[in-house]
Amino acid sequence: MNLLELIRNVEIFRGLTDDELNEIVAISQSKQMKAGESLVEEGDIGEEFFLITEGSVEVIVGATLPTSRTVLHLGEGQLIGEMALIDLGRRSASVRAIADPTVVQVIHNKDFLDLCERNARVGFVVMRNMAADLSFKLRHLNLISGN
Amino acid sequence: MAVYKVSYVVTGSSHPGGIVNLDDLPEVGEIIEVGNSELKVIEIFELIPPRGDFYYLHATCELVEDG
Repeated sequence: MNLLELIRNVEIFRGLTDDELNEIVAISQSKQMKAGESLVEEGDIGEEFFLITEGSVEVIVGATLPTSRTVLHLGEGQLIGEMALIDLGRRSASVRAIADPTVVQVIHNKDFLDLCERNARVGFVVMRNMAADLSFKLRHLNLISGN
Repeated sequence: MAVYKVSYVVTGSSHPGGIVNLDDLPEVGEIIEVGNSELKVIEIFELIPPRGDFYYLHATCELVEDG
């Protein structure tokens, strides 16, 4: 399956036309990882966000501390690192591949924000969907903490 | 093509739970593969209303096998 077909079934791009999806494809770079490989380190400056197109990752809080814990697994179609795109803060957790292979699409924040400036509809649709994705993650965490 | 976005918790184990997109609607009693784990669905409900072809679900699961 090519990348256009893959991202057509990804929630954050729901509502984009094929032309607009191709603009997303044009700024995406594929990165393949082995199980155990690190994608993001907590505390780093986040200059890109990631979309999982194959495999899965674990999200770890306090990875360098004895009290580190895995708080979440994320699989295909899920977004990583979008908080830094929105709030410009440092990475809130570390992320490592747990499946072999795990493939992510890397989208640099600057490239994405430039695209949003050129095409405000893309910006509106993706940001709205991204907000919905963050809301879903919050609902998930509410259920986890109540379990 | 419908996409089922599933938030899942795993009871009775240290598995942290997670979020994954599935192509098919998971059903109670079904074994689903999530990452390296096999999970048995013991409860499932709609977390928020669907939008277009995207369905948002929450599943409570038991760990069958952890890779």
